[in-house]
Amino acid sequence: MIAADVLVIPLIVAMACALPIGGSARQLAVLAGLLTAATAGAAAWSDIGTASPQSYVWAGPLGAQLAIGVDGFSIALLMLSGVVFAVGAAASGGVRMPRAYFALWSLLQATVAGVLVARDLILFFACWEALLVPLSLLMWHWGGAGRRAAALRLLVYWMTGSALLLIGIVAFGVGARTFSIADLSAYRLAEGSQVILALLFLAAFAVRLPLFPFHVWLSRAYATAPVPLAIVLAGIVSKTAIYAIARICFPLFPRGMVDLTPYLIGLAAVGSLYGAVLATRQRDTRTFIAYASLSQLDLIALGVFVSTADGQQGALIGSLSHGLVVAMLFLLATSLARRIGSFDFGPGGLAPRAPILTSLFGFAILAAIGVPGTSGAPGELLILAATFTRSPAIGLLATLVVVVSAAYGLGLLRAVFFGPSTERGSDVSWRERAVILPLLVLVVAIGVVPRAVGDLADRRIPALTERAR
Amino acid sequence: MTDADLAAVAPPLIFAASAVVAGLLSAVRVGARVLGWFGAAASIAAVAAAVVIGPSADGAAAFGGTVARDGASVFFAALVGIVVAGSLVVAAGAPRSARGSGSEVALVLFSASGATLAVAAADLLVLFVGIALLTVPAHALTARPHAHRGDDGAVRHVLLGATSSAVALYGMALLYAATGETAYAGLGRATHNPLYLAGIGLTLAGLVFHLVIAPANRSSMVVNVATVAALLRLVAATRSGEVAVDWEVSFAALAALAVAVAGLAAIAERRMNWLIAYATIAQLGYVAAAAAGSAVPAAAFALSVYAAQAVGLFAVRAMLRHEEPALEDLRGLARQRPLLVLALGILVLGLIGLPPTAGFLARLYAFEVAVRAQLLWLVVLGSLATVASAASYVRILLACFGSPRLDAVAPPRGRISTATALVAALALVVAGIVPGPLLEATGAVRF
Repeated sequence: MIAADVLVIPLIVAMACALPIGGSARQLAVLAGLLTAATAGAAAWSDIGTASPQSYVWAGPLGAQLAIGVDGFSIALLMLSGVVFAVGAAASGGVRMPRAYFALWSLLQATVAGVLVARDLILFFACWEALLVPLSLLMWHWGGAGRRAAALRLLVYWMTGSALLLIGIVAFGVGARTFSIADLSAYRLAEGSQVILALLFLAAFAVRLPLFPFHVWLSRAYATAPVPLAIVLAGIVSKTAIYAIARICFPLFPRGMVDLTPYLIGLAAVGSLYGAVLATRQRDTRTFIAYASLSQLDLIALGVFVSTADGQQGALIGSLSHGLVVAMLFLLATSLARRIGSFDFGPGGLAPRAPILTSLFGFAILAAIGVPGTSGAPGELLILAATFTRSPAIGLLATLVVVVSAAYGLGLLRAVFFGPSTERGSDVSWRERAVILPLLVLVVAIGVVPRAVGDLADRRIPALTERAR
Repeated sequence: MTDADLAAVAPPLIFAASAVVAGLLSAVRVGARVLGWFGAAASIAAVAAAVVIGPSADGAAAFGGTVARDGASVFFAALVGIVVAGSLVVAAGAPRSARGSGSEVALVLFSASGATLAVAAADLLVLFVGIALLTVPAHALTARPHAHRGDDGAVRHVLLGATSSAVALYGMALLYAATGETAYAGLGRATHNPLYLAGIGLTLAGLVFHLVIAPANRSSMVVNVATVAALLRLVAATRSGEVAVDWEVSFAALAALAVAVAGLAAIAERRMNWLIAYATIAQLGYVAAAAAGSAVPAAAFALSVYAAQAVGLFAVRAMLRHEEPALEDLRGLARQRPLLVLALGILVLGLIGLPPTAGFLARLYAFEVAVRAQLLWLVVLGSLATVASAASYVRILLACFGSPRLDAVAPPRGRISTATALVAALALVVAGIVPGPLLEATGAVRF
């Protein structure tokens, strides 16, 4: 039932926001996020939820069904989605045209949930593609300077990826006479066809992740999207691509993926290092977060591509951690921008005037670069360990990422908060703290007891590697 | 004439009778708005008649096998009726200057009568009569605004229309020469001889030419729907033996050409009428792709989606003052007419083929059919053209959100046009989320 719940909750809220009835749209949207997180959380720590997928007739002659279901990976990401959407909604105070904004916001939440629960390729693609509509509208209408060019660029890049994905889905599904993911994973294709189809599928997933070198849309989109949308974009929408690679590419094309993984691992490792190096050179907090995210996301993708149990677990923990940390970073960057007037690094020396902001920012950076005790550490360690067992050379390259990320993280802290003291700035308000505190608690909790989510991955993720061999 | 004969031609008869009444009423100076509502009511009556009478029990054609009464004729007659009703409602709701005279309503209804006859034609001669009755009033309608200004647009349209009809007629004559029959039932037995192929080719060319020259205005919707539906029936009848491959290749080439040309040409286009025309071509390209895979239900589905989009787009178009509006003329529309822009946004999503609109399902359905027919290259082309069309049509929406020109006059209120556009957009979304009923209806489309 959880699969249906997480779809229905945001849809109801979207409708409530769209209709001219009383009540605060923002509170409703926050509520929808929290309810989703609670529903998914309840399913995660009990044994309901992973029951067999439900299936209803949708478009019979097309072979499409409304098949929905969840597994450990999607439950974990649904929890993250609930938290990220709640935080983002809480942070979108004072937007123009709030009803339209929150209706689109909730629609976006519903489509993300749809991607995570769809067990039918057509339904998956419909949600995957429908996600674009509220996302680009939100960026288009509520974004910052240059938003329309950024939205158009994002739209064209993503749609090109999706066009290839659709070709792959139609070719595969028509050939196999079914679009059900479960049935298709039992369908045996020749190795050559698997490679071609896997490439078509990966085209869409790599653009959305983004995997190096398909990240051209990234920095501009992060810098021009309204901050709550950037939180969602980095926090959960990118994870749908991680999920799709792990849950669709690997089960459907096990042998094709085995052939492709050496190249994909190389791209992910290079992309991770590339993002980290570029992050050291940014002078704008939003593009800084964009490149730091590129680095983190490609590292997570590395864990998926390595496709050992450790790698998968690391990717899951890393996804959750990155989602929470990037939300914190964006919120803090907004607080910072509110104080110094722009998203630039500013004149520096804020630490004496804003000690709490400084410590929160410092904590978020430490979590982002994976210092033990924060949620960043266990995922990173698992991924690195898994990579070393697969290829020591790539493992070494990935370890270099950790070093460079320490450099960019500390570099940002030094440039923004330390140095000659300035007169400007005040500390974070209670309202700002109230949004950040829950995130901080979650980050510490996952850092201290990673087994809480790690076990979830262990228990619920079927050993994909077994199938691959 | 038996009861069965009468039942088969009930929709054309209702349209023709109402056209005569509308003509008489306009002669005694009844207002165009009243006549428009009358025509819309007559169209709905024709839809109701087609649906209530339904296909004949044994699938037999009337009038000695020349006029069909089957699932396809019922469905397409209903579709034509809905499109005509939509276009008349939009015209009736237009401001006085753009409304036209009452006699235009009579022409539209005559055209609809030809359309419903053409979709049911099971004989080349009936087809020709239907197409002529369909296109001659449509060309007259197109020519009217030009005639006032004395330019050659009117003459050009009539001549082009006559040429296409002549080409089709020539093809039909060759088909008769090759087979000695004009009934579709007899055509199917043809062999692979040059005369026959030339006849098929010229008939196809003539009919498709009618589509190509149909200008982007309200009457073209009816021409498009009816001609495509008539073509589907002709194909189904003659698609046998070695000829089947020729049909498949022809349609695949048409679809590829339509989708590619429309996708590329629309990128740099700034005139609304042309953008709508390219969108139409791309939509009909999906219909052709479905026809190439010989899947009539998929083609009917795509055609229905096209009809909804066309009605909606022309409703929006009716709200713009200029005769040849450009994208710039849309600026400020989002602030002045938010509901209209909401409808336009959904229609644009449908044009691009994005979920949750039915445009997505139509595209997907056509692609599935094409893959089944081993036409994967067509899917690749169509899929990539989608990206180009996204870039083109999103500009329509972009324009709506721009700040208005200083000298711009607010568009007319146009409650009826807005309502029509909203209804079309809503239909598109509902059919995209709950496609069951429409898929069931198109599934019953058989020849």
